[in-house]
Amino acid sequence: MRLFENLNIDFLGKRKTFFFVSVIVILIGFLSLIFRGLALGIDFKGGSEVALQFENEIDISEVRDQVNQIGLGNVEVKTFGGTTGIIIRTEIQEIPREIFPRVISTIETLIDRYYPGTQKTIIDSTYNSVTYSFDTPEITEDLNIKLFNAGFQTSRISEELNNTGIIIRIGISDWIKENLIEKYADNKFTVLKEDKVGPKIGQELKRDTIIAIGLSLIGILIYLGFRFKWTFAVGAVAALFHDVLVTLGLFSLLYDVIPGLNLEISLAVVAAFLTLVGYSINDTVVVFDRIREYMKIHKTLGLQEVMNRAINRTMSRTIITGLTTLLTVIVLIIFGGEVLRGFAFVLFIGIVVGTYSSIFVASSFVLEYALKNKKQIHF
Amino acid sequence: MKEFRFRILVILGAIALSIYLLYPTYADYNNNIYVEEQLAQIKDNILNADPNISISQMDQRLSLKEDSIRTSDPSYRENREKRIKLGLDLQGGMYLVMEVNTARLVERLARDADPTFKEILAATEAEAKVSDLDLVSILARRFQEKGIRLSRYFGTIRQEDSEIIDQLQEQESDAVNRAIEIINNRVNQYGVSEPSIQKQGARRIIVELPGIAKEEEAKRLLQGRALLEFKMVKDADFAIPIMNRIDEILASSANIEVSNNETESTGVSSIVDDSSSTDQLSPEEFEKQHPFYSIALINPQSPYADAFVKETDKAKVLNFLNRMEVKNAIPDNVEFIFGAKPEIVQDGENIYRLYLVNKQAELSGGVITDAQSTLNPQTSAPIVTFQMNSEGAREWARITGSNIDKRLAIVLDGVIYSAPNINGKILGGSSQIEGIGNLDEAKLMEIVLKAGALPAPIDIIEERTVGPSLGQDSVSQGFNSLLIGFVIVAIFMIFYYKKGGNIADFGLFFTIMIILGVLAGFSATLTLPGIAGIVLTMGMAVDANVLIYERIREELATGKTAKAAVESGYANSYSAIFDSNITTFFTGIILYQFGSGPVQGFALTLMIGIVASLFSALVLTRLFFDIMVAKGIKINVG
Repeated sequence: MRLFENLNIDFLGKRKTFFFVSVIVILIGFLSLIFRGLALGIDFKGGSEVALQFENEIDISEVRDQVNQIGLGNVEVKTFGGTTGIIIRTEIQEIPREIFPRVISTIETLIDRYYPGTQKTIIDSTYNSVTYSFDTPEITEDLNIKLFNAGFQTSRISEELNNTGIIIRIGISDWIKENLIEKYADNKFTVLKEDKVGPKIGQELKRDTIIAIGLSLIGILIYLGFRFKWTFAVGAVAALFHDVLVTLGLFSLLYDVIPGLNLEISLAVVAAFLTLVGYSINDTVVVFDRIREYMKIHKTLGLQEVMNRAINRTMSRTIITGLTTLLTVIVLIIFGGEVLRGFAFVLFIGIVVGTYSSIFVASSFVLEYALKNKKQIHF
Repeated sequence: MKEFRFRILVILGAIALSIYLLYPTYADYNNNIYVEEQLAQIKDNILNADPNISISQMDQRLSLKEDSIRTSDPSYRENREKRIKLGLDLQGGMYLVMEVNTARLVERLARDADPTFKEILAATEAEAKVSDLDLVSILARRFQEKGIRLSRYFGTIRQEDSEIIDQLQEQESDAVNRAIEIINNRVNQYGVSEPSIQKQGARRIIVELPGIAKEEEAKRLLQGRALLEFKMVKDADFAIPIMNRIDEILASSANIEVSNNETESTGVSSIVDDSSSTDQLSPEEFEKQHPFYSIALINPQSPYADAFVKETDKAKVLNFLNRMEVKNAIPDNVEFIFGAKPEIVQDGENIYRLYLVNKQAELSGGVITDAQSTLNPQTSAPIVTFQMNSEGAREWARITGSNIDKRLAIVLDGVIYSAPNINGKILGGSSQIEGIGNLDEAKLMEIVLKAGALPAPIDIIEERTVGPSLGQDSVSQGFNSLLIGFVIVAIFMIFYYKKGGNIADFGLFFTIMIILGVLAGFSATLTLPGIAGIVLTMGMAVDANVLIYERIREELATGKTAKAAVESGYANSYSAIFDSNITTFFTGIILYQFGSGPVQGFALTLMIGIVASLFSALVLTRLFFDIMVAKGIKINVG
């Protein structure tokens, strides 16, 4: 079976059209980036994230109302993998000082429920914990277990047998769980995953990501500069920028448009972008390799003609490889689960765009660059 | 066929090696299913016998049982160690990055934390939250801006700021080491499988606790003060009769007849000193008659009644000691405690010491003010010196005075780090521990003693927890993707490239086996993005094949013979294949360097996948084609 057997399209002749299309798409993406911005996951923003799985269907807006009232500031509630899962995200890592009294009174109400009238004294409190002292070791140990089951993180302050103190950690996820456990006693939930990222880590990850992307681009530029002429290296990297910008723009544009598709920049998404950089270069290099070969053979033909021939000849390979890779990515989108969805989506768009750029954009850049600078290219 | 023999052997060798490396994963998978079934049964039995048992007790018993099942067959452990490691996102578990709360540490170290100090410290804390500089440097700068010397609050008057800064930073680093030891200790006791605790930089600790089902309990483990206590070790005269009784109870409860009455009735000396009587029994008989002593071995030459237990027997010993009948035989005021680290290694097995100590601590570690590990100036032997506050010193004098020639165990968080002999009464609280093997051990003791004195306040700055259900879902989703992806790509290749497609598919299968085999062989970790990486690699792996096949088609179209077409097809594709794959490999390296956890897993499978697919495309499929050409089989690439 053959596809594109005797293709002979004048790709480079039509390059103005393709530039135009690309510019439009990039512009739309740019506008979206400026006005809508990019949704950053907690990996970069910092914050806390809790994913809960309920036994039965759960009403998101109901949960949202609940969670908005417990004093954690801006809280996002979204679906997570179907109608029984939700993911709750806050921007802070620790309980705000202002609602501490509320938390304390909730704890004390609980204690009173189990041991009405018992002596309870706060002997220490920090920004994320409070330490109580009780009358007897037995009460202490029992409350230790009961408060733990109610959703708080509790632990004895000493391992001794006559211990009468408990330290209760009050983290965001604990507070969320505590507040939801009572409301949803008939629709029990389990915690699927919990993430908490401090602001410093978020900053560091941002910095690392930018360095990583920068290094990749430089490395690719150098390597291609060696293997091909400088002009080609520049053209390849230009096509790369094109791919990343378009994908990023689409990412921003489609945020919240498709239900169930969580399009935010997380570590995995950054990894996907770097992968797409690798793939796009891969693609472009194959075309350039053919151009290089033809230039050695057909020394008399002009650059444009050589490029056209090369692209036409490699078309079937480009499409086939793009197709097989795309198929595997589609498999990931459908079967890979919630965690991989954003990642797979970036790859999907990236491969489509990357293939487009390898055919229509990369060589055109090189040609333009060569013409503008009146460079003669020899291998 | 002769010229192909070498290549065929290499390929078959690679396949065989992969299967060998992957077998433990398969075996471990089966073992786990078996253990689950057994545990479910045992759980039912326990509930039937004791319906009101509390959850924590039940869990304790189940985990002891699980340990004993696993240790009963050594292959369990081997398979577990050699299997493919699953990342936390596939196993479920916790990933934590902890950082020393330097502000709190500095506050505790300050001689007198007056309002000025607290104000400057608060401002420093706020700045440190968003700055890259470390807190000590920021603090020093702020003090300098206010014209206050650091020696006002730290060290001695004569010390320069820079000296104090160095000291504070050292304290910081020390605190991290202390915290790591404490966490290590607790995690080991809790019994997490394959925990990982590592220092990162000067201030951070990275903790990975796989398979934690109860994450809150794990978080409990990592915070809270460490408890340092001093407990008296009981003499042999006291300990031996108790151990004898335990041994008897266990032997009789197993309903084994004692064949030789003499060995039972003659008390201490016959069991411990009279080796001739025990020589008469075979190892199996000895185990039946002395279930306790067969795994808790006592050295008859030593004046101490410490037992030595193999690491693999620890769970059994704990099991024994937890039995109702045995608990009743042990007096209320004593308890058995294990040493923290293995004493010796015998035949590749770690051996731990088991002590019998008073339950009530003589002194708690809060009285220690400082500890140092140094070399004894006269003997150059490693020693540890420590000092106490005045209240501690008084108690210390009393304790050491009335317990000369007895041993005092230093217990941190429930395990014994050292049990030195009390040589004489110690006044003034300043003491010295000798008889330490090497400087590393001394350093450890220093850490332990300080841990009680100056706990390191630790904050969790990053935390990722994946529940076991999500982990399992991810595993099945990952493998479904792998399977379906493979099938789809395989079918497509056959459809488009006919027989060539078959060959490419075999190469694909080979590639995947190699990737998994390498992961297993290097004990690398497979994460969910890692599986995604394999799926992606499948799509990209066929690229090399596609390049080659398209080229072969072109060459055939120009009228070359099959042999020539194959040769030039491969030759002409080399440059494209190498250049394109190297650049992708390069981004993989960058991703590996800068990524963490799951993302690293992705980069890893991507890189291994590229190498494996290159090998498969350039060597394996080439071999097939060469054989076909040699045998005159028609080349069919669609």
